[in-house]
Amino acid sequence: MPTARGPVLSRRGLLGGAAGLGIVGAAGAGLAGCGSRHGAPGGQVVPFHGAHQAGIVTDVQDRLAFAAFDVTTTRREDLVDMLRTWTAAAEAMTRGAPVPGDSSSAEMPPADTGETVGMPPSRLTVTIGFGPSLFDQRFGLGPRRPTEFADLPALPGEILDPARSGGDIAVQACADDPAVAFHAVRNLARLGRGTVVTRWAQLGFGRTSSTSSDQETPRNLMGFKDGTRNIHSDDTATLDRYVWADVAAPQAWMRGGSYLVARRIRMFIETWDRDRLGDQEAVFGRAKASGAPLTGKTEFDPPDFAALGRDGEPVIPEKAHIRLAAFENNGGLRILRRGYSYTDGIDPRTGTLDAGLFFIAFMKDPAQFVTLQTKLGSHDGLNEYIRHVGSGLFACPGGVADGGTYWGQGLFEG
Amino acid sequence: MNASRNPRISARIVRPVARPVVGPIVIACAATLLAGCGGGAQPDRPATEVKMGLSDAGCEPSPASVPAGPVKFEITNTGSAKVTEAELQKDGKILGEKESMTPGLSGDFTLRLDGGTYSVYCPGAAKDTWTLTVTGAPGQAPPAPAPDANLAAATQRYHDYVVSEVDKLVSDTKEFTDAVRAGDMAKAKAMFGPARTHYETVEPVAESFGDLDPDIDARIDDVRDPGQWTGFHRIEKALWADNTLAGMAPVADKLDADVNTLKAKVATGTYQPAELANGASELLTEISTSKVTGEEDRYSHTDLYDFQANIDGARECFELLKPALTAKNPELAQQLEARFTDVVDGLAKYKVGSAAQAGGNPRYVDYSTVPEDQRRKLADAVNALAEPLSKVAGQVV
Repeated sequence: MPTARGPVLSRRGLLGGAAGLGIVGAAGAGLAGCGSRHGAPGGQVVPFHGAHQAGIVTDVQDRLAFAAFDVTTTRREDLVDMLRTWTAAAEAMTRGAPVPGDSSSAEMPPADTGETVGMPPSRLTVTIGFGPSLFDQRFGLGPRRPTEFADLPALPGEILDPARSGGDIAVQACADDPAVAFHAVRNLARLGRGTVVTRWAQLGFGRTSSTSSDQETPRNLMGFKDGTRNIHSDDTATLDRYVWADVAAPQAWMRGGSYLVARRIRMFIETWDRDRLGDQEAVFGRAKASGAPLTGKTEFDPPDFAALGRDGEPVIPEKAHIRLAAFENNGGLRILRRGYSYTDGIDPRTGTLDAGLFFIAFMKDPAQFVTLQTKLGSHDGLNEYIRHVGSGLFACPGGVADGGTYWGQGLFEG
Repeated sequence: MNASRNPRISARIVRPVARPVVGPIVIACAATLLAGCGGGAQPDRPATEVKMGLSDAGCEPSPASVPAGPVKFEITNTGSAKVTEAELQKDGKILGEKESMTPGLSGDFTLRLDGGTYSVYCPGAAKDTWTLTVTGAPGQAPPAPAPDANLAAATQRYHDYVVSEVDKLVSDTKEFTDAVRAGDMAKAKAMFGPARTHYETVEPVAESFGDLDPDIDARIDDVRDPGQWTGFHRIEKALWADNTLAGMAPVADKLDADVNTLKAKVATGTYQPAELANGASELLTEISTSKVTGEEDRYSHTDLYDFQANIDGARECFELLKPALTAKNPELAQQLEARFTDVVDGLAKYKVGSAAQAGGNPRYVDYSTVPEDQRRKLADAVNALAEPLSKVAGQVV
């Protein structure tokens, strides 16, 4: 470790006191290499400010660090102070700058923890959401709770661990570098100490969806392309209809916002890996190698759910994942998926890998997820190989306008 | 930020259990002094540089003689895998150090040195002790600017507090060791938690005296040879794990001698304001890393006594600094006050016995009976306090 840190530290020395400026310079230098690798429009820095929060329709980055927090303070002004501090820190980190504050005094811990100094911004986005529990009696937010925003009901196919579920506030940090994503969550947790405690956290690697037609559809840990028909960022009509809260939503603070559903979906990958290919493909309804629906030849061929095989049975089986999840079979219903693979070592009880999908989806109304999961949880052929073990629902407010405002300002003021 | 601080930070992350033999507060203090001077009315002259290369052969300081005043030690590991740390010592007290300096790494620390003979120590080297001569009469180094009256009073009163705590440590330890020598298991067990508390209140000070801390307070994981293990925790294991005090009389004698040595050393100790602040932070680190987990008192489960003592010691530092801190940053002082209260309230739930019994030292439940989720609540409260507390040193220099 110390040897690996050497160059980073010397780079820091080079940048000296003008840390902010220096890092922007470093970002520029990194642009050429990384930009071509990701083909990312907008380069290395994803703008923090805007009508919507970044990290929702942003081209999906490679890595995730997610954390849910419980608020421990009982004072509303402490919570607001923290959100102000968080917003400023997130905005700075998004630019690749360190957490604002003194990082050079020998007498104090540096304001920034330092592990990403010298690294490019890596398209970091930091997205915040508020859990239903924040709207209890503690902060007087009850009247501000949107009517559609309630705890998710019990759903089929889940055995939830309370220690990996819920939370008053969630932060989703995504970046093309795992250290950059982790750094963001770590520093917010630190800045929030005394006001919030971390309830649970999850790292994700290997994005499992794309939100852009420029991005190739990645594969999940089962080896399948499962995000082929995701909503793309240029499809504004569909986004307005299914993802963004209405521009005239009764709760003004949610306008331009979206609901985030997180589900820790454990995959029993050892048993999956022992399943024959034909069955694996029948479970998904897609060919494993090409990603094409079983009724098509290439990945983006639309599935033909009516097609019958020679045996008179549907080519895409009744219980196939893509049939149950398809918008055609759900009254047009869609959600924006943004999940990541995860692994957290070995399940001590079974010796199997604790791995799976950290599912994240954004939607206009949590009922969209409830409808889909009620159906999938009951009938999906995948259920033999997966279990939902963690869950969170968070209301992500609209974006922060340039200058002076903070995350969720409309919720606490106005 | 000074890159050279990082090896030390990484060492502490990698070895959270290992007890730092050195009080980092001393290093911080020296740096503090210099920072203060730099901004003072009388500009300090630049530090004299002493280079030390770590090699299998040793850590020869160059030059070997420097004038009194600020001295900056620049240490580079030129390729030795086994010699990775260097310390500057005077009369057995570690004044500054760099550790975990793996090959290729370099770092530095700066101290203000009076005239005299110092040793440079680099464990593991063929010649591990070298001499550094500082010319000029003792006390001839330019004095630091006079701290404000609040801070001067605080440091004097902290000295008195340390002396008083160590006095109680000596007497309570004697009561404990008398029971050990008499083979009185019940009495020894009852005295173990309370006797240690007067050590835990001032532990960062004790840690600055080289081997004294490990001799008094090492845990079994801290010693290379369990046969050489001494101090409180050795007797703790005898009482709770071995269920016999056989062979413990010499350990008891040595413990008495060691706490008396500590008493002699603290009698002449002087402190800087930043040492109080950093010492308080250090005490909270103790709680966060080894008390909350229950590993400090793993046989007796008396961790809550240590926990309380660490908080008491930290709070003493805070209370002494409070007038100066309030003048400079009233919000921070207020926040710390509230968070100290949270921790104290959280801990109070675990006191046992009547108020009358508690007249001397409060007694606490067996820590193994405190469930995980409750330990987590204690940890959250301590961490909430530790974060703003870490900012105090920067406000009082």
